[in-house]
Amino acid sequence: MRASSLLRSLKVVSRRSPINPVVCSFHSSSLRAATNGVTTPHADPQLKNYKFWNREESTPGQFSYLLEISPESIQKEARIISLTAPDDEANHALHEGALPMGCRLLGTGSTLQDFNELRNSDQQPNVVFVSPSCPKARVQLPLVLAAFPTIEWIHCRSAGIDFVVSDALVGYKHIPCTNAKGQFSSSLAEYTMMACSYFAKDLPRLMRQKKEKNWAKYEVEELRGKTMGIVGYGDIGRACAKIAHVYGMKIVALRRNPSISEVDPLCDVVYGTGKSSLNKLMSESDYIVCSAPSTVETRGMVNADAFKAVKENAVFINLGRGPVVDEKALIEALKTGRLRGAALDVFIEEPLPPESEFWDVSNVLISPHNMDQTGSFMHEATEFFVNENLPRFVCGEDLLNPVDVEIGY
Amino acid sequence: MDGSNKKYYNRETSIPYSCDGDIIKEAKILSLSKINDKNNEPLDKGQLPEGAKLLAVGLTLDDFDVPALKSEKPNVVFVSHCCPESGKTLVQLLDAFPTIEWVHSRSAGVDYLQSKGLTAARHITVTNAKGCYSSTLAEYTVMACAYFAKDLPKLMRQKNNKDWNKYEVLEMRGATLGVVGYGDIGQAASRLAKAFGMKVIALRRNPTLSEGCSICDKVYGVNQLNTLMSESDYVLVAAPLTDETRGLISEEAIAHAKKDAVLINVGRGPIINEDAMIKALKSRKLKGAGLDVTTLEPLPKSSPLWDLDNVLLSPHNMDMTATFLRESTEFFVNENLKRFVHGEELLNPVDKAAGY
Repeated sequence: MRASSLLRSLKVVSRRSPINPVVCSFHSSSLRAATNGVTTPHADPQLKNYKFWNREESTPGQFSYLLEISPESIQKEARIISLTAPDDEANHALHEGALPMGCRLLGTGSTLQDFNELRNSDQQPNVVFVSPSCPKARVQLPLVLAAFPTIEWIHCRSAGIDFVVSDALVGYKHIPCTNAKGQFSSSLAEYTMMACSYFAKDLPRLMRQKKEKNWAKYEVEELRGKTMGIVGYGDIGRACAKIAHVYGMKIVALRRNPSISEVDPLCDVVYGTGKSSLNKLMSESDYIVCSAPSTVETRGMVNADAFKAVKENAVFINLGRGPVVDEKALIEALKTGRLRGAALDVFIEEPLPPESEFWDVSNVLISPHNMDQTGSFMHEATEFFVNENLPRFVCGEDLLNPVDVEIGY
Repeated sequence: MDGSNKKYYNRETSIPYSCDGDIIKEAKILSLSKINDKNNEPLDKGQLPEGAKLLAVGLTLDDFDVPALKSEKPNVVFVSHCCPESGKTLVQLLDAFPTIEWVHSRSAGVDYLQSKGLTAARHITVTNAKGCYSSTLAEYTVMACAYFAKDLPKLMRQKNNKDWNKYEVLEMRGATLGVVGYGDIGQAASRLAKAFGMKVIALRRNPTLSEGCSICDKVYGVNQLNTLMSESDYVLVAAPLTDETRGLISEEAIAHAKKDAVLINVGRGPIINEDAMIKALKSRKLKGAGLDVTTLEPLPKSSPLWDLDNVLLSPHNMDMTATFLRESTEFFVNENLKRFVHGEELLNPVDKAAGY
């Protein structure tokens, strides 16, 4: 029986202490080989293999030095087109900045028409950089790929690629695609802890009492000792776990490939996907953090059944994508008090329409998908492309942050 | 952690006391507390360590039958701070019962106990609940920082107006937290701040105690307060109230504050010059303040603090979990009482002259 199918059923790896991993009886020897029994500070073999980037933990590549000193390290040129909103300042590093040796920006535009001049040029692009600011990116990208068959690499400026995924794009799944995974995680982890404390210390009550000039002592809760359940344990989930761990919270993680996080000292329990494991997580968590991407598999995943399974007084936090949650079921759970409250940075429809019931539900903290929106976050995402992945491309090295457009993340 | 941590208790890291040795002396306890205080059940009704006995519970001297109790030779007083007269009553108890040698405060702050009489009684050891409340206050501190960094008031306003308006947020990561009073609470807050990627500047009376500290980036003495103010995005006041700290955060200190600084107070209200702070909040010299303690508590309705929109106000309850007082009493019973009867050094000694 293949190790992978063992994992697809309810797979639980539990550990009694963060320092001594307990070997799960389902663990096959091939998996052991894959992880090499390695317990690194990151404890995530993928990070160890440098396939993925984390803004806080990854070491910047020393490429500018490399390319200046030895131009022969350039294996191929990067001829880039940027699919973007006009005048998108966040793309400054690409559109106006100095690019690494061997890299040229051929043009920028929002539609295929904007690149018409290039079609007959002898300089054909091989890289397309696509920003979510581009108004109809989902439609335009496949058109661009069809018009320029020389393109061999697609990079998405954001972490979420749902803005650009389509059946048409899946037709181009042979083209490597990368994204900005790891670029926005720490801000969202900060938001997550704030959202937990918002309910634990009953911030709404504080603000009410202040308005009423009412100095009334009341009991507060600690986050210490409570359980955080993370649905979609990727870079954002891990960044939350890192901080929650220092608070003394227990971490229950859920991801498609639980074996990857088996030796992660931050997780007390790791579940695979499947309805029963999601419900189990819901029943064990005081604070549920939904950080999963929006894919064919995850759409509507957190549904009425999941909310029925929640622990008493649980808080639900969504900072992944709105469509992962059944919003009607969430509103119901909030209104009936099944959930103590929710903090939502993302919604199925954004901007959230004025007629949405969420606005009127009192135990919801609403933010306009801006909790990672620092002054520089998108600029930094472009810089990551320019400083890290572009040089890797020209040097013939593996690109960071590969995504699978068919799976959706 | 800091070098002198063997003397002090920390709820998260201390190892529970155990000892098989002989009882060296008996503990005969008077409790200066409300009668039927549920939080004191571990003392009033619980199983006390061998050699320890609770003689009486009372709030004023009249509640204690002095002649009858004198013959029992009480040597320990457990004080729960529940009325403004506790300090005075304690001195009366010490006068009535010269056999008393140990006073334990259920709270961490002992400013309410301070008196010349107590300081003069050199044979009396005072201990407190240092380390029992720190982690909850650390959680509050970081929440207060985030409240301003993510502009929570703006979020709530926008929700009220059904306004979907994306705005920029600040990261805590890379920002500097200045901790004035680097005791157990200050250190707990630093630990959390570090997890967020914040820089930490600690300020304490004895900076050498924190040399080589792994959870702070710089350690200052009290004479460097203005420097700390000018370097910190968030200033946490976690000091005890003593003669030295009263008014420490003065008009001058506030004038040195960094642009858009936020002041957070979990220590004691009088450490900050409240009028100067209010002025600075109104003029936006300070971006905001998170205050769990104020000079007067309860805060009178007339205080301008109620009306300032850039103030996060809480009624001195940010450490008030359902179990915190009970846990403090348990600490007295399970840790210090046991040490006392076995003739061992008590945890959390208070320097009466220093006031903490």
